[in-house]
Amino acid sequence: MQEATFLILTSLAAGSQHGYGIIADVAEISGGRVRLLAGTLYTALERLRADALIQVDREEIVDNRLRRYYRLTPDGEKRLAAEAARLQSHATAALRRLRVNPAGGVA
Amino acid sequence: MSGPNKDGSPDNGPQLSASESASLERGYRRRLAWYPRWFRLQNEDEILAVLLACAQDGQQRPSLEATWDLLKGAARMWMRPRPGQPRTVFVAIRLMWAGALAELAVGITTLVTLGGARATILHAYAPAWPGVQHQLIGDVAEAPLVIALWLWMAWANSRGKNRGRAALALFFGIDALVVLAATSAGGFTFLPADMAAGLVQCLIALAAVFLVFNPASSRYYRTSMRNTSSLA
Repeated sequence: MQEATFLILTSLAAGSQHGYGIIADVAEISGGRVRLLAGTLYTALERLRADALIQVDREEIVDNRLRRYYRLTPDGEKRLAAEAARLQSHATAALRRLRVNPAGGVA
Repeated sequence: MSGPNKDGSPDNGPQLSASESASLERGYRRRLAWYPRWFRLQNEDEILAVLLACAQDGQQRPSLEATWDLLKGAARMWMRPRPGQPRTVFVAIRLMWAGALAELAVGITTLVTLGGARATILHAYAPAWPGVQHQLIGDVAEAPLVIALWLWMAWANSRGKNRGRAALALFFGIDALVVLAATSAGGFTFLPADMAAGLVQCLIALAAVFLVFNPASSRYYRTSMRNTSSLA
């Protein structure tokens, strides 16, 4: 799973979000390292919808503009959980081999 | 990008005057026109809202970065089937575009090389020129019609219209007969390049026919016809 996809799914894990909210949330989750642009975001959202990992939760009109909220599907939750576990397992192995203590710094 | 609130909405939105906002929106709409129609119908207003929310204060035109991002996004969307469209129909439609491109290449090549071909043939065997000239002019004249037919078939099949795939099957049949007639004994009246172009188009049409008459494709055509009937 690509990093942007993982971060988008993570952004939706806490609840439904609209496009701009996802962009802002992904920037926050990644500490400002990943800055999604609209073209990238909607390409990913379209693919995730086609794969049934997310779905439209509701639509609103705000300032005469359409705002569509997305949320994870049960399959999306499973996929994100599996990916998070996989990444965590890899990160744990890397940190163990580096003998990094939980507080940071190499032992 | 202006700062978001807890719900992800922009604080106050970018500080844009009405004319700046209108100019920026026009610029974004022009770039969103690169996307396939089905995608624009489904998402254009929503993406536009996000693009405008992400604008900088005083921004009047889309940035190069956003333009490049939208261009990449549009290219990816053209590579994806529209929702509900089976992969078989999607590939068949790309093949029909390829057929139109092949015919365009034939037409342009014939036009560009007409002078050279004339000089060569007149030099080698002048009596052959009237026949060859007739054939080459025929190729150039029919190219726009054949291109239009390929594009119409691509359009009709992408919308699940049965007459689109019937026309494709008929086109393949006629093309196959022409190629067979050209290769049959005593009937070798076509130029080799012309034959090759005809054969390529015939093979493209054959592959597309197989794809659109696939069971998964047939379900798509049935569903599309039902939807059209219920809307009428």
